[in-house]
Amino acid sequence: MDNLFQIQLLMESGGTVLWLILLASILMWTLIIERYVFIWFLHPREVRKMMDEWHQRDDLASWYAQQIRQGMIAESRVMLERFLILIRTLTVALPMLGLLGTVDGMIQTFDVMTVFGTGNTRGMAGGISVALITTMGGLLTALSGLYFITQLEQRVAREVNNVADALRRD
Amino acid sequence: MRSISIFIISLLASPLMVMAADKPANLDQLLEQVKRERVIEQEQNRIRETEFLEARDRQAELLAQAKADLAAEERRTETLNDQFEENEFKLAEQEALLQERSGSLGELFGTVRQMATDSRAVIESSMTSVQYPERIAFLTELSERKQQPSIDELRELWLVLQHEMTHSGKVEQFPAQVITANGEVADRDVTRVGVFTAFSDGKFLRYMSENRNLVELARQPVQRLRDQIEDFENSEAGVLKPVVVDPTRGAIMALLVQTPDLQERIKQGGWIGYIILILGAIGMLIALIRFVTLMRMEHGVKKQQKSKELNMKNPLGRILSVYSDKIAQDVETLSLKLDEAILRETPSIERGLITLAILAAVAPMLGLLGTVSGMIETFQSITLFGTGDPKLMSGGISQALVTTELGLAVAIPILLIHSALSSKSNRLIQILDEESAAIVARNAETQTLQRDG
Repeated sequence: MDNLFQIQLLMESGGTVLWLILLASILMWTLIIERYVFIWFLHPREVRKMMDEWHQRDDLASWYAQQIRQGMIAESRVMLERFLILIRTLTVALPMLGLLGTVDGMIQTFDVMTVFGTGNTRGMAGGISVALITTMGGLLTALSGLYFITQLEQRVAREVNNVADALRRD
Repeated sequence: MRSISIFIISLLASPLMVMAADKPANLDQLLEQVKRERVIEQEQNRIRETEFLEARDRQAELLAQAKADLAAEERRTETLNDQFEENEFKLAEQEALLQERSGSLGELFGTVRQMATDSRAVIESSMTSVQYPERIAFLTELSERKQQPSIDELRELWLVLQHEMTHSGKVEQFPAQVITANGEVADRDVTRVGVFTAFSDGKFLRYMSENRNLVELARQPVQRLRDQIEDFENSEAGVLKPVVVDPTRGAIMALLVQTPDLQERIKQGGWIGYIILILGAIGMLIALIRFVTLMRMEHGVKKQQKSKELNMKNPLGRILSVYSDKIAQDVETLSLKLDEAILRETPSIERGLITLAILAAVAPMLGLLGTVSGMIETFQSITLFGTGDPKLMSGGISQALVTTELGLAVAIPILLIHSALSSKSNRLIQILDEESAAIVARNAETQTLQRDG
């Protein structure tokens, strides 16, 4: 209960933008986890099905066979690469959201200055905390996603090669 | 001269006249009479002389008396003069003493006056004055007083200070008049936490020290805090409950009212802000149209992948129709024709995406433009007025910040939508590009098999 309250306090001192950052990072992490689940559990099953289909064929060298093979590889690539662009964009958008929060916090700070001059440091601190917390949140979530999205992209490229290898022409 | 002699003669003759009544009968008698009368006369003169002498003696006595009196009075004057001088001296001495004694008393009075002025300022700005407004009149009277205050008043001042000290440390509930957000005056039960925060009916109040009124805040803080104070108000005495306190005595609460709302914010951005918003609206419109088209296209392609019938309304159907049209052609021509058909379809799938990408890139740049123009404005005002008043500079600064914010706020959603749309269109193109060939190949194979078999 106490911890929950502190999270709520943090969210309040971060303002609306921090909620957006939270939502975006939750979306990003859901997608990242979904990708890992797909690559580890669902994708091998798909590959086995494709291999069965390919090896049942008698003709593996004609133009038709090549087109079918290309089609199969493309299909698996489409499935593997799903959401990757979205995840990549989220890692780009999150620091931008952080920047948005920074600007928002600075605006609040200057609002205080407009009304009270530079005397009211306590009032100004509220805006500055929004600015800093959102920047921190944006950078933190983006950095945490950055490693995984890079790893996922490499993994997907490797998996596509593996599929191509599996559907050999011999 | 003659009249005087006549007067004397008549004087001398007067007894003769009296005597004439019993007129002497002869000369002897006359002589006798004259003799007798002379004796009487002599007697009379002697009496008169004695009277004169007596009178003279009395006068002398009176003179002596008067002289004695004068001497006595002169002696008295002398004594009084001495006394006067002595008193004068004593008076000066006493006055000096008074000066000396009232010197420290005057200092005390000055202190009391200053104290009264100070504590009036404190009590006026304190929320307890809503509850106990009568103290201020007393303090005002005391601070403007010319004479020395009495012991009672000194005691009263002390009591007022003690009273304020005690009540500013209490949480109290009392009926008071509150000016609502609509500007009406309402009688409410107000809960006061020290001199920091006041609320009634789950709404935060602000204390206006100028007219000693409680005003309901036009913009209230977050719901969680409002729930908390409502809970606090309704709890029973003696129960511990959490509650918020504004340590700035209302300055932070006042800030809430000052925060501009969304519309005022956008206005601060100026014309660059409006341009950014218009670009954002255009981007959203394009995104919506593309989203609907791509969804319908994807749906069609999925259906086409499953069915054998060719549907010319979706791109995959149009590509596959190349094969069914020219069934007798050789493999190379077929592959060329397929490529051609695919090339024909791709632009319609990718349409609008580049515009979205450009919009997502332009919006933050426009924001930057607004920032720079706002900073120019700020520096112009610094050139004119110096850095003394931060309020003068904040107009340009708020424009700078608001445009940056608007630029980012427009760019981020467009960026996300663009990525979602482009991943969708990539998928479609890939399907058309590579899978269409595979489908054609499969169909051709089955047909050849059927023909052969």
